[in-house]
Amino acid sequence: MSHAPHADLSPKNTQLGPGSLTLRNAAAGIGIVCLGAGVYLGKSGAFETDARTFWKIYLVSFLFGLTICLGGLFFVIIQFLTRAGWSVAVRRPAEALASNLKWIWLLFVPVLWMFFNGTAGTLFPWADLATLEANDPGIAHVVEKKVAFLNANFFLLRAVVYFAAWALLAWFFTNQSTLQDHDGAMSRTKSMQKWSGPAAIVFGLTTTFAAVDWIMSLSPAWFSTMFGVYFFTGCVTGGYASLALITARLKRWGFLHGIVTGEHLQDLGKLLFAFGMVFWAYIGFSQYMLIWYANLPEETGWFLTRQVGGWLPITLMLLFGHFVVPFVGMISRWPKRFGLSLAFASVWMLCFHWIDLYWLVMPEIPSDIGSFASYGDLVAKYGTQSNGLENPLNYILAFGVLSLVVAGSVAYLQGRSLVPMRDPRLHESLSFENV
Amino acid sequence: MSNISQATSTAHRPVYGLIAEFENTHDLMHAAEKVRDAGFIWWDCCTPFPVHGLDKAMGVKRTWLPFFVFGAGATGTAAAFVLQTFTNSFGFSAWALVKVTGYPYLISGKPMMSLPAFIPVMFELTVLFSALSCVGLMFLFNGLPRLYHPLLQNNRFRRATNDRFFVVIEARDPKFLRGSTEAFLRTLGASAVEAVED
Repeated sequence: MSHAPHADLSPKNTQLGPGSLTLRNAAAGIGIVCLGAGVYLGKSGAFETDARTFWKIYLVSFLFGLTICLGGLFFVIIQFLTRAGWSVAVRRPAEALASNLKWIWLLFVPVLWMFFNGTAGTLFPWADLATLEANDPGIAHVVEKKVAFLNANFFLLRAVVYFAAWALLAWFFTNQSTLQDHDGAMSRTKSMQKWSGPAAIVFGLTTTFAAVDWIMSLSPAWFSTMFGVYFFTGCVTGGYASLALITARLKRWGFLHGIVTGEHLQDLGKLLFAFGMVFWAYIGFSQYMLIWYANLPEETGWFLTRQVGGWLPITLMLLFGHFVVPFVGMISRWPKRFGLSLAFASVWMLCFHWIDLYWLVMPEIPSDIGSFASYGDLVAKYGTQSNGLENPLNYILAFGVLSLVVAGSVAYLQGRSLVPMRDPRLHESLSFENV
Repeated sequence: MSNISQATSTAHRPVYGLIAEFENTHDLMHAAEKVRDAGFIWWDCCTPFPVHGLDKAMGVKRTWLPFFVFGAGATGTAAAFVLQTFTNSFGFSAWALVKVTGYPYLISGKPMMSLPAFIPVMFELTVLFSALSCVGLMFLFNGLPRLYHPLLQNNRFRRATNDRFFVVIEARDPKFLRGSTEAFLRTLGASAVEAVED
């Protein structure tokens, strides 16, 4: 309706140059070296890392990469589900994140392999009931009733289903979008719209069950019916933060000039604000509130553990760093509209998303958590426990996985233009303005 | 209304302003930029539907409303916290129109002042205060409710809700001069320019 856009869609503006090849190779190299070094150091017990801690750190790092890519996939699905016009110009970076789902299962193979060499009990207590019975009979008694769901074969089968579903969805949406660049067929948009509904359902179910399998079952007696949604808020936090960061970076490198404007950045900022900050806090508090209020022993221990010793500062850090500070910082219009402030907020949210995953996975619920007469007694015994943040393995492995995700995303963007050139809604996206 | 009666009333009533009619948004946008650059203050555009980019063309400044709403939201949070802390946690009395007394209530052994239980109410009052102040202040800033407006007397202006776009320059504008402003509006490509009585 307003002035017709004259965006520059020439290759200079919409194709990555040869410099990206260096970035891709460097990121892939650094990723492989970091992962290799991290696994070697962790397995050999460096930094006083025991086997269980190592595998938990590995799981946190893997989930960090996975949630970012799942967030990208979710963004793509939702754009087709809602027939959104504004987002076409920023869809490619999201597709790039999603495309990593085609190979990211490789990083989970070592975890699955533990079920074949019989060491799965180090990470998942339910996988070795005999040891659990010896260490913690109370928990074992509860877990024995969950064997129909928590058993090795079914667990492996589910993992295969999740990864297959994500790889299939990622392949379908990235492939159709890429092919449309060549033939401009309207039928591709129609087919992606048609399948986006079922895709959203599959996405919701698989992420929920994956969260239960890979995070909740680490403390097998604990349960929260809201946990799948909480994990999903993590996916969108990581995904939207990465998407905003990549978009801001591409603009900074001189691409997408006149294609992605402050209007698009503002909308990405809104999504990050709404999902990463507000929705995360809303779901996180709802989960906490119900468990805190009901005060059931098998549920409360999970939060109680996170309120004593070294975990208390992390819990508070999440409250303020994942919600209060960015909420106030990003609530107004202008921080969302400039690449620099949006990129800063994205990096900030990515850091706290990692801390969030760390906070979910790492704490160990003491078996005697329910036996204290008062909170003071609990603090007296567990008040000095470390949160393990000083272990360099955390950062080596997380950086390794992140580098591989960067390498995979850059590789995807190299193969095609940075905007879906012949998407029927591209024009609408180019002339998009916030009211 | 006949021409004669309109002519008579024009003679007696002061002029509210001038309206210029445009046939499409492109002409309107162009005209808005010109009127903005001419330095008018008391003027407006009337369109049947929201026109993207018109705010920029008119040089409309961003509203201060969000800052007031943020303040109202923060007030809501604080009010909810004080309300619950007082009623639930303290036994002393205070005068708030009538004498009220806090009633310490022990719920399943939890502390008297337990913040997690207060948060839902704090959240709700934040939303309530922000939403009400947002709507209320929006009305106030826009000068609503307003049951009469001179423009609504004009027959030509009726099409502002259908298929025509209008620029209205009010007579109270310091730069308003009936003759020169009318000539200026005609140069902008208006399909009609008319005076509206107050």
